[in-house]
Amino acid sequence: MQTDIDPKGPIKVDKQPKKKKKKNDTVVGYLLVAPALILILAISIWPVFQSFYFSLFDLRLNEPTKSEVHLNYQIDLDRYLQNYPFLVGAINSEIDSGNSSEELTEMKVTLEELDESIRENPKAEENYDVINEKLDSFENVPDDMKYVEIDENVAKDFTSSVKAINDDLITINENGELEKGDKIVGLSSALTEIVVEPNFIGFKHYKENLTDQRMWKSLWNTTVFTFISVLAELILGLAIALLINKAFLGRGLIRASILIPWAIPTAVAALMWKFLYDGQNGIVAKLFEDVGIIDRMSMLLTTDTGAMFSVIFADVWKTTPYMALLLLAGLQTIPSSLYEAASIDGANKWKQFVTITLPLLKTSLLVALLFRTLDAFRVFDLIFVLTGGGPANSTETISMLAYTLMFGQTNFGEGSAISVVVFICVAIISGIFIKLLGAELINDGSGKK
Amino acid sequence: MNKKAGPMFYVFLVVFVFIVMFPFLWMLASSIKPLSELFGDKAFNPFTNNPTLKNYVSVFVDYPFMRYLWNSTVVATITTVYTVLVASFAAYSIARLNFKGKPIILGVVLSVSMFPQVATISPIYIFLKNLGLTNSYLGLIIPYTTITLPLSIWLLVTFFRKIPFDLEEAARIDGASLWQTYWKVIMPLAVPGIFTTAILVFIAAWNEFLFALTINTADKFKTVPVGIALFQGQYTIPWGEISAATVVVTVPLVIMVLIFQRRIVSGLTSGSVKE
Repeated sequence: MQTDIDPKGPIKVDKQPKKKKKKNDTVVGYLLVAPALILILAISIWPVFQSFYFSLFDLRLNEPTKSEVHLNYQIDLDRYLQNYPFLVGAINSEIDSGNSSEELTEMKVTLEELDESIRENPKAEENYDVINEKLDSFENVPDDMKYVEIDENVAKDFTSSVKAINDDLITINENGELEKGDKIVGLSSALTEIVVEPNFIGFKHYKENLTDQRMWKSLWNTTVFTFISVLAELILGLAIALLINKAFLGRGLIRASILIPWAIPTAVAALMWKFLYDGQNGIVAKLFEDVGIIDRMSMLLTTDTGAMFSVIFADVWKTTPYMALLLLAGLQTIPSSLYEAASIDGANKWKQFVTITLPLLKTSLLVALLFRTLDAFRVFDLIFVLTGGGPANSTETISMLAYTLMFGQTNFGEGSAISVVVFICVAIISGIFIKLLGAELINDGSGKK
Repeated sequence: MNKKAGPMFYVFLVVFVFIVMFPFLWMLASSIKPLSELFGDKAFNPFTNNPTLKNYVSVFVDYPFMRYLWNSTVVATITTVYTVLVASFAAYSIARLNFKGKPIILGVVLSVSMFPQVATISPIYIFLKNLGLTNSYLGLIIPYTTITLPLSIWLLVTFFRKIPFDLEEAARIDGASLWQTYWKVIMPLAVPGIFTTAILVFIAAWNEFLFALTINTADKFKTVPVGIALFQGQYTIPWGEISAATVVVTVPLVIMVLIFQRRIVSGLTSGSVKE
């Protein structure tokens, strides 16, 4: 061991009292952990709370009025000022030309009153002229200036009055009494959309989802997938680990071939299997048909059970080797003297397995199971690429559903609600495992030996 | 256990390796078939009499596959370097220094590594969209921290704990500052562990799919897994090109795994085995 500390140099003796040193450790310790903790807090933990918060809103990215969370009534001043002055101007010119002046004057008065009621709001008044100037010089209005919170009554009054005016204008226009009728109707109908209603809906998404067949179906699919694939991986993985837990030639080759399925991207693995499962040209589909597992090659990806089987089979192929690897590492920590002693005592292989291997493998087994279960429960890429959740949603897992809602339908509120459900499920699963594992998981190998 | 491996055992091994490798071998065989032999009866022949490299050429000419490879490399490399750096400080502190709250910190790290990605995707997507970071490298590097940082802290803590404590004490008694101890005593010994962590983090970042799919939707910024997955068109799937692309991404991986297998295995099993 080489250190760069000059052995000939003066040796400074640590004169600090022990207590001070410990305090120093604490400060440095926290300082070193801080960047990582801040990042974890900001990028992992905070978004989970935000997901929950979003799930309480009717949040849809493709609808301008619902693309953000609004707790209060707001008015889109930018849009208002792009329409209101022109509407009043247009109405004025119609009045001047003597077209249904009585009704129009009445409308104009109402509109001006509404305008005053908006400007009574100090924030609105403050931004009113600034936005006007920006519009005159064709500048973009920043979002934080655009939206101004207004009183609920003002907002409701505004919308209902403007709607009434819009209806009247449509009637008048249809009677052909206006010169620029279509333009006026266009302006007034734009005004009916400038109030942004709060999209807070509380637990409605959860209520809807709890009674929604699709949600339960996807949760069921996820459970089936997780349970069967993890169980199969565990049994096969343990069998393989037991078999290769001995000295033999070419261990490196085995280890490498075990690692390759684990190392390739799941999306690529899924694509490979899609080719192998193909109803017309897939070699695995053909083999399964020849062996008699399936009647027709196309059954694999076009029937409910076939698709679920395909997905599980591909997952087992990809992760059994990994499971075997983890369990093999666990097996290698069991001293062989235990087996020797047991065989001297006349215990048979099975007895040795049950009384020595299993109890000593418990921690490795549970840790491997925990990580595999969580991985399987949040499965996304395998299914997205291999079946797309089909046929007829028969392989749609809960993560797939959340993705489809958010990015297929841009319904971020409901999608967030589903992702909170996923989070709760994962928390429950890890809670159970950690209870089984006790404190071993975190205290594993800690402290000075 | 000192059981001797018999001939049957080697037969089993060969069968096992064949099953595990079969999909790759089949993709390799298909990637050099001409289009006409990918369909119909000839689709089931493992070997072709008319091998062609047309599919490989097509992958790079007709698809921006080079671009995908580059994007993945950039994103995975930057993610690896920065998370391993940040994690090494935290892991050193957790493994070697005495202060209160370490089990809690480690507990938080462990729980975060269990978070389903889908639980964080909506706020992260909206946040990145508002900042204009969708379709950029940073747009993937930021969310990848969720996955890679807890993983690297967890692995590095295990590695740092294995370094004998005496060395550090000796250095400190000799008057080395904490900073000197870290860089000159601990670091050289931790290099293998850090390297192992870096490999695992790189693979995790390289393989990530959900964030890559949703955040970087423009062809210019797609990563390899998403790029290949979206090769499939609406009605037809270009299996020849897909096989070739699969081989192209798998071969370097196989080489890497062959070289680093010991390290990878030690990394994968370090957190789960009690020693």
